[in-house]
Amino acid sequence: MSLTSPTPTRTETLLSIRGLKVHFPVYGGVLRRKVGAVKAVDGIDLEVRRGETIGLVGESGSGKTTVGRAIINVLKPMYPDVELDGSIEVHSRDGLVQDVNGLGRARMNAFRPKIQMVFQDPFSSLNPRMTVAQLIGRPLELHTKLTRDERRERVESLLERVGLQRSYAERFPHEFSGGQRQRIGIARALSTRPEIIVADEPVSALDVSVQAQVVNLMQELARDFDLSYVFIAHDLSIVYHISDRIAVMYLGNVVEIGSAEQVYMRPRHPYTRALVSAVPHPDPKQRGRQRIRLEGDIPTPMNKPSGCGFRTRCPIAKASCADLPPEVQTVEVGHTVACPHWREMQ
Amino acid sequence: MGTYFARRMLLMIPTFIGITMLVFAITRFVPGGPIDQMMLKLQEASMESGTDIGGSTMEIPEASLAALKERFGLDLPMWQGYLHWLWDVVRLDLGTSFKFNEPVLDVIVNRFPISIYFGLIGFALAYVVCIPLGVLKAVRHGSKLDVTSSLLIFAGYSIPGWALGAVLLVFLGGQLELVPLGGFRPEGWADMDFWEKVRGQAYHTILPVLAYAAGSFATLTILMKNSLMENLGQDFVRTAFAKGLPERKVIFGHALRNSLIPICTGLGHAIGLIMAGSYLIEKVFNINGIGYLGYNSIVERDYAVVMGVLVINTVLILLGNILSDFLYVLVDPRIRFE
Amino acid sequence: MSADQQNRGDGKPVLQVKDLVTSFQVGTNRAVAVNGVTFDVYEGETLGIVGESGSGKSVTSLSILRLVPDPPGHIDGGQILFEGQDLLQLSYAQMRKVRGAKIAMIFQEPMSSLNPVMKIGAQVAETLQVHSKLSKSEARERAVEVLDAVGIPDARARLDHYPHQFSGGMRQRVMIAMALIAKPKILIADEPTTALDVTIQAQILELMKGLQDDRPETAIILITHDLAVVAETCDRVLVMYGGKVQEVAPIEQLFEDPRHPYTQGLLGSIPDPKHKGEPLPTIPGNVPHILELPVGACRFHSRCPIAEERCRTTEPALTSVGHEHSVRCHLVADGIDTFARMREHAAAPRTEEVR
Ligand SMILES: Nc1ncnc2c1ncn2[C@@H]1O[C@H](COP(=O)(O)OP(=O)(O)OP(=O)(O)O)[C@@H](O)[C@H]1O
Ligand SMILES: Nc1ncnc2c1ncn2[C@@H]1O[C@H](COP(=O)(O)OP(=O)(O)OP(=O)(O)O)[C@@H](O)[C@H]1O
Ligand code: SF4
Ligand SMILES: [Mg+2]
Ligand SMILES: [Mg+2]
Repeated sequence: MSLTSPTPTRTETLLSIRGLKVHFPVYGGVLRRKVGAVKAVDGIDLEVRRGETIGLVGESGSGKTTVGRAIINVLKPMYPDVELDGSIEVHSRDGLVQDVNGLGRARMNAFRPKIQMVFQDPFSSLNPRMTVAQLIGRPLELHTKLTRDERRERVESLLERVGLQRSYAERFPHEFSGGQRQRIGIARALSTRPEIIVADEPVSALDVSVQAQVVNLMQELARDFDLSYVFIAHDLSIVYHISDRIAVMYLGNVVEIGSAEQVYMRPRHPYTRALVSAVPHPDPKQRGRQRIRLEGDIPTPMNKPSGCGFRTRCPIAKASCADLPPEVQTVEVGHTVACPHWREMQ
Repeated sequence: MGTYFARRMLLMIPTFIGITMLVFAITRFVPGGPIDQMMLKLQEASMESGTDIGGSTMEIPEASLAALKERFGLDLPMWQGYLHWLWDVVRLDLGTSFKFNEPVLDVIVNRFPISIYFGLIGFALAYVVCIPLGVLKAVRHGSKLDVTSSLLIFAGYSIPGWALGAVLLVFLGGQLELVPLGGFRPEGWADMDFWEKVRGQAYHTILPVLAYAAGSFATLTILMKNSLMENLGQDFVRTAFAKGLPERKVIFGHALRNSLIPICTGLGHAIGLIMAGSYLIEKVFNINGIGYLGYNSIVERDYAVVMGVLVINTVLILLGNILSDFLYVLVDPRIRFE
Repeated sequence: MSADQQNRGDGKPVLQVKDLVTSFQVGTNRAVAVNGVTFDVYEGETLGIVGESGSGKSVTSLSILRLVPDPPGHIDGGQILFEGQDLLQLSYAQMRKVRGAKIAMIFQEPMSSLNPVMKIGAQVAETLQVHSKLSKSEARERAVEVLDAVGIPDARARLDHYPHQFSGGMRQRVMIAMALIAKPKILIADEPTTALDVTIQAQILELMKGLQDDRPETAIILITHDLAVVAETCDRVLVMYGGKVQEVAPIEQLFEDPRHPYTQGLLGSIPDPKHKGEPLPTIPGNVPHILELPVGACRFHSRCPIAEERCRTTEPALTSVGHEHSVRCHLVADGIDTFARMREHAAAPRTEEVR
């Protein structure tokens, strides 16, 4: 098996997110007027290139899942009063560009097969009353003109492809272990031949030994089908392992983005540095190493601090950090940091 | 929080209007209204007296018809009629009963204490019996006590309250003559001394109250049991055991407090419903309460009374719901209505 | 960590678990969740228990405090020796005096492990009130002290707050305060950081380590599925699989020279930054359901890449392979280099199969 090169040189844009905002309005008062908003995603720029895996990490509540949902465009149907802003442009192979942010159902249908999702919880994301064949065949029924037999054949070959037996097609989800269910979820996402898969914590619920199997499978599939992943996870060592690039989120903003090496080995943003230093190492000899401690709790996205969202916990915060959102600075090619003071972090 | 309850109060208004408007419209469209009944009475009267007012087909003079219509407010288009009615309600004037020929408010107020009396006693009885019973059943889940009480409770649940009442009445009242056959109070009430009154009243109360409460016994006991069982399986109960608390403290200090939350909040709803009385039970026991009144007024098309009972019940139930929310806030610190 | 090692060297066990067997009624079957587990806990040490889900970690720890829900669970046999007594023989009232006072426990879910309708102060003080004659106000004062010690800012003001007013990390601190207030000899922490963010996890683990600085004799049993967490915090490790101890070793030993194929597999499947992007070594198959575990054989043989015929027919015993290092594997007992075998096997062409 060939190894992916450590510094990938993928250039073709597949998805470009510009100024994406997702606000959930909060109502109050006698007349239920809007009194505020949960700024789950508060203006992020992110580019996903064809064939690359971009890791999305960040504290819980930082908006990772919401970004994923925005990409697969399910926020409007799920929460009709959600406020969306900015653009999510899908670049087709033939050069067409379409903004899918909040796109209506009918027009979104053309893009659904291209963008698929794999969920964290393999237990609740599969309808227990459908057979595996029905589960995997459903997107095919919706988005392709395949006949019954063709669909069946596709389902079985997909099962084989994700490492399950063809005969499993007639079984129900509860008959499988967590890892097998996640394989079924992946097969379902693959069924429409997507170009990009948003994977929201796909291995978090799995056993350690099974995590490795699923990570390997996902990497193989990416190579074989030229897939892009938006890989959301909180386990940084796995994100580093699988990602070409990593984006770090904090309270609805991307605070740092760069190649996996840049972000994991040479983090620059004070939050990323604290995060990376907090990752436990499976090596007892490294115990005494220096940690950057963060004081205080994460503020909620409902009452975000002014200026930089991180300033309430930041070890190098200045008075000026409260004024304006931090300006994005370039550390080196492809590595940017939303903090003007990053050089002071030693 | 204040704004939440203010909003709930305000929301009562459109709900109230919606319900009353619907029923008002129905009373207008369903045949057999007061005018029809008047005419029927006139017809009967004329047939009995042998005088034929207007040939074979009965006619009422235009003028008296108009007067009748005016009296019942039927001369106006429906929406105007409704607004008039609503305005009267706001001034606490519920109109005049066509059957009793007295103000509806008086008719209702006369019967209200009776329904409240039975309602509240039944309600209190249900809570006093069901909560301890539910707790006991949860703690001794699967024991003989649990199984037999479940059988009894479900028997009570599957028989409607009025039917149970009727059976008990026939057996205990008719056969054994242990209890009176009905009525709200014993005869000769005025001449009794205090203890006789108490005894008499108690005899008259026991069966109707049982009938009132039998249905809610099952739901309430099982709700209590399930709620406690669920909480006994919660992580915080394990924590309490791990602290070294005695079982009694774990159950009563930790689990029970949490499991009373759904019970408390049910209180408001229950009060609203119970006050509304029950026609069939009142009928079986020959008690002249609100349920009986409401039913009869529908049968007899005494629309002013129908609407009056509806007003009272709607307001009670809506207030009961708000009371429930309020109790929720009181017993569960996590709930903060915005 | 040298202080810990010293304590460990004393060889004074505070707790001895011997042949513990705990089973559950699953449908019509009896599922043995913990099957003859034996281990010691020494004064002042941090003992890690690792294993995948269902390996019996939680049931083992719940058995120590006799908190296994019965029914469906039942402790069928064994001994748990603590302060010269077998905890399994104590009366209910005697056992109560151990719980919380001598052996305290914190759980994985800081959200649901606190009573939602009871104030934090009362919950923390309660542990002390049942075990001492302190008055309510004295217990509250002590609650302020411990809450302060576990890093709750403005502890006094927060006594009257409810759990939902705290973040996940803060709730876990409250749980720790609650466990520590009666100064227990042993603290059992069942996945105390699994539900928390990495930065918060680091704080909590640091807090737990700091505990032993103040009270060096306190022993900690840390249960986790995360070997990295073990590497950061523990002095000795117990690796469990299928309700049995498969390997016990001092921490450095386990990470440098893991002998059991399962331990090797677990360690191997952690991504190594030096081999970024390369296929991860895996343990084939899935964790079997408790009722489908092999019996009368090595529990791991169905997934073991180097299993031999005898692994399928006879059960290996826990065999000492060095100072404080024991392994349950036929091959290791025979002095075979399992690590080399595993490497040979991995190099050989294979088709990855999923059971
Ligand atoms: N429908 C909604 N209404 C209101 N707030 C919401 C809604 N969905 C998400 N949020 C809030 O938006 C923020 C971001 O949530 P999101 O689920 O995207 O975080 P996350 O980074 O995926 O966290 P986790 O790691 O816990 O999964 C959170 O504070 C969440 O409470
Ligand atoms: N209440 C119960 N009823 C039935 N079986 C149970 C119960 N509790 C535990 N078990 C079984 O006992 C076995 C061991 O469970 P245990 O909770 O100790 O695993 P664990 O190692 O703590 O795993 P995890 O990492 O998932 O917490 C499991 O197979 C489980 O199915
Ligand atoms: S902008 Fe200021 S507060 Fe934000 S991370 Fe940089 S230094 Fe800290
Ligand atoms: Mg999420
Ligand atoms: Mg567990």
